[in-house]
Amino acid sequence: MGVPAFFRWLSRKYASIIVHCVEEKGKECNGVRIPVDTTKPNPNEVEFDNLYLDMNGIIHPCTHPEDKAAPKNEDEMMVAIFEYIDRLFNIVRPRRVLYMAIDGVAPRAKMNQQRSRRFRASKEGVELTEEKARMREEVIQRGGYLPPEEIKERFDSNCITPGTEFMDNLAQCLRYYVADRLSNDPGWKNVTVLLSDASVPGEGEHKIMDYIRRQRAQPNHDPNTHHCLCGADADLIMLGLATHEPNFTIIREEFKPNKPRPCALCGQIGHEIKDCQGAPREKQGEHDEFADTMPVSEQEFIFIRLCVLREYLARELTMASLPFPFDFERSVDDWVFMCFFVGNDFLPHLPSLEIREGAIDRLVNIYKDVVHKTGGYLTENGYVNLERVELIMQAVGVAEDNIFKKRKEDDEGFKRRMKEKRKRMKAEQRGPAYMTTGQFAPQALGRRDRPEAVQNARHQAYDMRMQHNKDAAQFLKATMKNGGNPSAGASGSADNRAMKRKAEDSDSEPEPEDNVRLWEDGWKQRYYKTKFDVDVEDEDFRKKVVKSYVEGLCWVLRYYYQGCASWKWYFPFHYAPFASDFKDIKGMFTDFEKDTKPFKPLEQLMGVFPAASGNFLPPTWRSLMSSPDSPIIDFYPDDFAIDLNGKKYAWQGVALLPFVDERRLRAALTDVYADLTPEEVRRNSLGSDVMFLGKSHPLFDFIHELYRTESHEDTEIPAELCHGILGTLNLDDNPILPDKPVTSPIPMLRDISQNIAIGVKFKDPHFADGFVFKAVLLSGAKMPNKVLKPGDWEKGNREPWRPQLGFNQHRQQAHLDQSGFRALGHSLNRNQHGGQYSNAPPPSNYQQGNYRSSHRGGHQPFQHSRQNSLLGAPPSYHQPQYPRQQQQQQQQQQYGASRGHGWDRAAQSQQSAYQQNMSRGQGGAPAGGSYQQRYHDRQDDWRGRRDTRGPQHQAYSSGRGYPAPPPSRRYNWN
Amino acid sequence: MAEERSNEDIVAEYLGQNPQLAQWVETFRGYCESNKQWDARREFILRNMEAFPTVEPGVPSSSLDRLLSLSMVWANHVFLGCSYPQAVMDKIKEMGEGIVVVDAPVHKTTKDGVLARGKRSATVEVDADGCVKRAKCGSNELDSRPVGRQKSGPLPQAPAEHQPFFNRLYKAVAWKLVSAGGFGPNLDHFEILRSCAESCKETLTCVFVPLKDIAGLPAGRTQKEGHVCEIRCQTVYMGTGYGRDESAAKAMASKEALKVFQGRKVTVKICRRRYKGKDVEDLMLLDEQPRSQGFPPALSYPFQDEQLEDGSS
Repeated sequence: MGVPAFFRWLSRKYASIIVHCVEEKGKECNGVRIPVDTTKPNPNEVEFDNLYLDMNGIIHPCTHPEDKAAPKNEDEMMVAIFEYIDRLFNIVRPRRVLYMAIDGVAPRAKMNQQRSRRFRASKEGVELTEEKARMREEVIQRGGYLPPEEIKERFDSNCITPGTEFMDNLAQCLRYYVADRLSNDPGWKNVTVLLSDASVPGEGEHKIMDYIRRQRAQPNHDPNTHHCLCGADADLIMLGLATHEPNFTIIREEFKPNKPRPCALCGQIGHEIKDCQGAPREKQGEHDEFADTMPVSEQEFIFIRLCVLREYLARELTMASLPFPFDFERSVDDWVFMCFFVGNDFLPHLPSLEIREGAIDRLVNIYKDVVHKTGGYLTENGYVNLERVELIMQAVGVAEDNIFKKRKEDDEGFKRRMKEKRKRMKAEQRGPAYMTTGQFAPQALGRRDRPEAVQNARHQAYDMRMQHNKDAAQFLKATMKNGGNPSAGASGSADNRAMKRKAEDSDSEPEPEDNVRLWEDGWKQRYYKTKFDVDVEDEDFRKKVVKSYVEGLCWVLRYYYQGCASWKWYFPFHYAPFASDFKDIKGMFTDFEKDTKPFKPLEQLMGVFPAASGNFLPPTWRSLMSSPDSPIIDFYPDDFAIDLNGKKYAWQGVALLPFVDERRLRAALTDVYADLTPEEVRRNSLGSDVMFLGKSHPLFDFIHELYRTESHEDTEIPAELCHGILGTLNLDDNPILPDKPVTSPIPMLRDISQNIAIGVKFKDPHFADGFVFKAVLLSGAKMPNKVLKPGDWEKGNREPWRPQLGFNQHRQQAHLDQSGFRALGHSLNRNQHGGQYSNAPPPSNYQQGNYRSSHRGGHQPFQHSRQNSLLGAPPSYHQPQYPRQQQQQQQQQQYGASRGHGWDRAAQSQQSAYQQNMSRGQGGAPAGGSYQQRYHDRQDDWRGRRDTRGPQHQAYSSGRGYPAPPPSRRYNWN
Repeated sequence: MAEERSNEDIVAEYLGQNPQLAQWVETFRGYCESNKQWDARREFILRNMEAFPTVEPGVPSSSLDRLLSLSMVWANHVFLGCSYPQAVMDKIKEMGEGIVVVDAPVHKTTKDGVLARGKRSATVEVDADGCVKRAKCGSNELDSRPVGRQKSGPLPQAPAEHQPFFNRLYKAVAWKLVSAGGFGPNLDHFEILRSCAESCKETLTCVFVPLKDIAGLPAGRTQKEGHVCEIRCQTVYMGTGYGRDESAAKAMASKEALKVFQGRKVTVKICRRRYKGKDVEDLMLLDEQPRSQGFPPALSYPFQDEQLEDGSS
């Protein structure tokens, strides 16, 4: 879902869904890289069965990275992709299935968005080159220095679209990669690899969903399969929830907003292209020795645990006193559905629902009301109950007016605050207009050297006065010398201020004009007039828009729960209607056109590419995009308007592109089909998923036998050979076979001479038309342990709650030996931490909401060099040195479910309480006597952050085995 | 009085006469097209059908698709703000000549320079000024809306300057008509108008244009003979008329002009109308009845020279 705000909102509201990945890095020994042994248990203390890769999320950053130098050629791109997959494989270590899905031809509903993206990319590219050229001229005229222009051709990211040669090569390379790893990497030995390349229609993540959906609908499916899906799109969360699999985890790159990007002109970080001065590069390190190192660290990964999200949702959605038993699974489906209102790839979002403004919370509240009133849920198995949806929409519609007004207020408030902040920052930079000097110069408070008594005060005052006059006289002289142009001359304060004034004015960027003014009365009329160019009285037109939107909601939900209902359907407008327009929608949708077919890859390229990307198409096809006599020339404007639609940046706006008329497109293409080369014909055809196995896989011999007997008919997989995975096999035309060497498509990689992998065409299990995939938990599914603190924990009179940070409840805590504590306390005591402010929490990352610190926090202080030298080599820290007895317990409990709480027992002894304390306290520990207290502080802090329900101090007042906190403490927990 | 009717009426009448054609052309309507957009595009298709002789109603063909495509190019340009390669743009400009779209939306592409923020180069500012802001008022107030100064056109104070003269002329015409026995078809309209103008110490300006020289007339109008006359007084437009020869055209134009004087008063206003395929500001004499129809395109445009003189002095 193209809503970056969604993930941010989710991870802030439901912080515990995120777990940081533990990644074991390959070591290097004498210049030889030792690969990580992925057959070992997963260092994340959880075992995954299936890993699904939404490949487009990998291809894009690997081919045109934003934070590092771009690969030089296609081969390097492929290698980067391989390395990325290796990295993911190492982190996740799937034991059964690795599913790689590249986006194929998408449904029409999605193609409009793809089209818009590609047209924009092309337009932005052109604009960037123009601006670059202009700025270059300017900077060089001013005498700035710029690195010589690169001759390198710009990588057109538009080639990452099914049907291009690039995608075809990629598929080829991935086959080689899979064969290589299956033959050479022990971790891959028993893994079934499925590759669904761009020739198979469907978006990557939806191909994955289709696979999961079809597997779990057949009787041999293991209901406790642990799925791990890789991808950054927020809609993967929706998809994961929609499967109703209890063990579903998403892995993605850590979300770091506002990463600095190098200037496109001079390659330095810290300014944008329009502010480029062409200043010489700052040296990196004393002798510029770090010049080539990228300033950014490698992107780290996080897990998103959907089972935890389900726990949160259960809390939020559970409704008491319903006239029927509450079904959590159904309410999850409804929640997913409501998230679509806020944004999805297929429909523009409703103007009144903005995720930042708490739209989802608002919807959930309304939803509960509606369920109570109507006695039922909004959706079932991906089919929508429109009557109930209308009630929700009407409830939103009532508030619409206020939402718009509030939005305007917030916006103004924000602008005002920003303006004040800028002013303040400037004032700070400038310092006071006049400063006393000499003996009267201001002195910092609390410094060791106290100011001495003032001597000869009158003389000093005279000096200061005269100095000021002298400055002014000098400034005047300089001004006159320069012919009355002060900016060229001295640095007088008056001049300074004049400059500032100018700078301030230029700060207030011209606001994009907003003709709709949703916050003023008559907004609806203006909206329809400006956005749709119709009068508000034109009921028919408004109905048409609403009807299309209703169809859209049905289509999207069906897409997520049952697969693509219609390849043809799309939302034919650029804007959404208002929630209050959803009246009498019950009869607006019946069903979609049946048996629609996706576009062929090259046809699709014609539908999503701008004329500027025509080089990916055969010449006669290309000319249809630019010739004035082309019968489809209207699809390819060379420039188009972007309506900011109340947003600030062009990329948030709506690209006003015409829609493609499928009939005319197909008609125009019939004339040029004959011009395709055989190679292009192949690229234009629909492909099949391919399954790869290594020699030791139980299914291997079965497949090998198929090839030996050359049985060219569909063969079902015997369920017992492949973890209950079903599907239909068919011989590949150009298969990867054992003992048949695989040639490398990339010059820098070796051919595989000893191949032991086998590949075969694979088709998902088939279900009859009209089969409805049930959105329910499967029987036999075991729910994972709860992670969130139960609401009645305090009442249970048990131990204090211990938040869970990783997958394993009994994860080993980092730990410091007693002697370590002594050393630490000793050294810290002597340093500035011993002062009176040492009880104030250290400037930690907690406050910044950086979830990473929550389980790594314990490690961080020790990375300071001072502590390092004190504790010895830092790596030793990572090996926990538990007292023996405890260690044994821990070992027994690894991966064990609930056999007793090692941590709790440990916490009962004073000594280990200290250990906990130290392992968690993340700033420097305070002076000796207050360990215990700091522990409480920390605990409190934690709870306040992770779990805001209930007063925290209760935990402390209930009886536990802790000694009373030392009397000296200053912390007040209320 | 066909000259006075808007293009919509002509199209409606034409389609009324050819119901099958109407049905056929309706199949090309896009689902998302509003009435306004579709009416305009339909006019474009109908007007240009002759230029595509291989297009036969009811028969799909590639030349039909080309026509449809160009109609979409035109509509996308007018309603969405898309631009196309120059050759295509020239073509649709020619084909779309004479189609009046009232209150077309104004969209800004980067070429207009509005999105190129931050940098305030001279070109950007010129473009931004040249951009006509979309009118906020409804379409019925369209005629009176204030419009920023164009590069050529009447001065904003011009209506006020001309109004006193036309008040006098109104009185003169009223008395003249009373003495002639009231407004009717059997008068010498031009003579009445001329004598009244001269009694107010002004002369009428008549411009004649042969009909065949007027581009962009609806395709259905096959009559190529005849002349069109436009009457102005003090640069203010009064009426247009068509006739077999110049004097007939002049008579018709005077009749149209006198019609304006049938109301309770006459007003001089600045209005937008077409002139040589472009939208221009013109001074018009109007009665107080609200007009729902557009104006016939101007045949002359007296404000360009004035502008030049202003510039040189």
